[in-house]
Amino acid sequence: MSVIEQQANNDDIIVIKDLNKWYGNFHVLKDINLNVRKGERIVICGPSGSGKSTMIRCINRLEEFQKGSLVVNGVEMIDDVKNIEAIRKEVGMVFQHFNLFPHLTILENLTLGPIWVQKKPKDEAEATAMKYLERVKIPDQALKFPGQLSGGQQQRVAIARSLCMAPEIMLFDEPTSALDPEMIKEVLDVMIELAEEEGMTMLCVTHEMNFAKTVAHRVIFMDGGEIVEENTPNEFFENPETDRLQLFLSQIL
Amino acid sequence: MREFKPLPAQPAPVKTQGAVAWLRDNLFYSPVSSIVTLFFAYFFIKYSIAMFDWALLSADWTGTTEKDCTSEGACWVFIKAWSQQFFYGSYIESEIWRINLSILLLLAVIVMSFTLPKNIRLKVTIPAFLLLPFICIAILDGRILGLTHVKTDLWGGFSLNVLMAAASIIVAFPFSFLWSLGRRSDMAFIRSVSIIFIEFFRGVPVLSLFFMGSVMLPLFFAEGTNVDKLIRVWIVLIFFMSGYMAEVFRGGFQAIPRGQYEAADSLGLGYWQKILLILLPQVIKVSMPNILATFVMLFKNTTFLLIIGIPELVQTLQTALSNSYWLGGHTLEGYLFVFAVFWASCFSMSLLSSHIERKLDTDNRN
Repeated sequence: MSVIEQQANNDDIIVIKDLNKWYGNFHVLKDINLNVRKGERIVICGPSGSGKSTMIRCINRLEEFQKGSLVVNGVEMIDDVKNIEAIRKEVGMVFQHFNLFPHLTILENLTLGPIWVQKKPKDEAEATAMKYLERVKIPDQALKFPGQLSGGQQQRVAIARSLCMAPEIMLFDEPTSALDPEMIKEVLDVMIELAEEEGMTMLCVTHEMNFAKTVAHRVIFMDGGEIVEENTPNEFFENPETDRLQLFLSQIL
Repeated sequence: MREFKPLPAQPAPVKTQGAVAWLRDNLFYSPVSSIVTLFFAYFFIKYSIAMFDWALLSADWTGTTEKDCTSEGACWVFIKAWSQQFFYGSYIESEIWRINLSILLLLAVIVMSFTLPKNIRLKVTIPAFLLLPFICIAILDGRILGLTHVKTDLWGGFSLNVLMAAASIIVAFPFSFLWSLGRRSDMAFIRSVSIIFIEFFRGVPVLSLFFMGSVMLPLFFAEGTNVDKLIRVWIVLIFFMSGYMAEVFRGGFQAIPRGQYEAADSLGLGYWQKILLILLPQVIKVSMPNILATFVMLFKNTTFLLIIGIPELVQTLQTALSNSYWLGGHTLEGYLFVFAVFWASCFSMSLLSSHIERKLDTDNRN
């Protein structure tokens, strides 16, 4: 595809080539090719079971793949633990169900990675944590436990937790799907702010099409384990090329 | 226009609250239930009065020998006269403070694990717990510390039940944790060794394990080495306990949502960091009721030690019952005493564990 070839240059922070994955006999990902430039914001959508979550989870090896290659920030994803660690250092992830650690306070959730993985001193880690809690507008909740926060607050904490590790790339796996409608906006606002101010590379699996229109540089449509169509948000929504995308858009918009 | 006509007043509803109502609802709601209630009440009152009279009113409390038990009631003199044996076995009388000290140390470490400031709590209590069994053995044995040597044949009584159970579970704790990790391991060798170990010790009665410990285990030791019987039984208890606890922990690991593993992975935590910082605290929390149940089971199983002639509480009681100066038939008093001692200990452990559960419950803490 021409879009990809034009962008294939040294700025690419993620290079996925002919990636294939099977669950037993089920072919979940079929010949995925995707290049992501540094600072690029990509929204991935598609019907459930299309492999979109699986694809971004391959990027930090929460899922393994059987064929193809994946290079993140110049490091190739292979079985070597060192490579995996190096890649995970650069990739933050926000999950659908937040996955905060329930036995730790909010502040401890945020400082755990910096202290144990990056070996930062505790007060430095706490200062960073408070800075990001302010970014997501809940510094007053620092000493509470995750179970005491609302879903939207928990998801903002989860975003702050990832940011504390100062990643190059942020992956969002349906970050608003588990939230009550009135909380979706507060999480999306934080994400939009993040996109516009930090200029971070973001890959976001979501069905929030307004979010895609506002922040995405590129929107990708996946179906049946393949990337079916990709385009700029305008073209993507105004002039969908394939029937499958037209059908999908008519169902969700 | 129609005229307003009030409905005739209704009688007051039957009382649904208060003691009378409760009695009617639960005990006297039909003629049959009333008969059954009265029937059981009659026997309950009859026998509890008899029991009360036997155990307290007409019981013998003072004295030192069989001859002081003159009344119809219970002979608590028997328990009193043997109480030192029941608690401390045949331990040299002038050295009994060493047993008390060991038990105090155990209690102190338990209290410490609740009261120390949070930032140093784990750093202090985990090593303290792990060292405790060995310190207690050193104190009770005495040789290393330059105290009088007390041979293990003389150790006994209820303190032995307590210390054996505590020493076993403390050492078994880290092992069972490793076995449960082993059983979940991706490496086939480690996994099969773990499964064989766990299933062996879970599938064999503890009695036969004690026999193996006292008879067969010496065959495996190098010739000439003579490992103390109590130590051998301790090893057996540790193995037995770690097999059981491994399964408790495995259940705990399975109860942790996948998302916790994924979040830990995505932060870049290493294997042991993930296990120790994220999973273990949550596993211990969800497993707490089962850990306690297993511990209570082990604690009660220490009475089986009598089978291989170790003078724990029940064995001491049997010795006392067959003593030629105390042939007045005090079986009932003796076993009631054993019940009371074990029940009180196990019930306090239940209270302790529910306290821990409440403390660990961060889900809804305000």
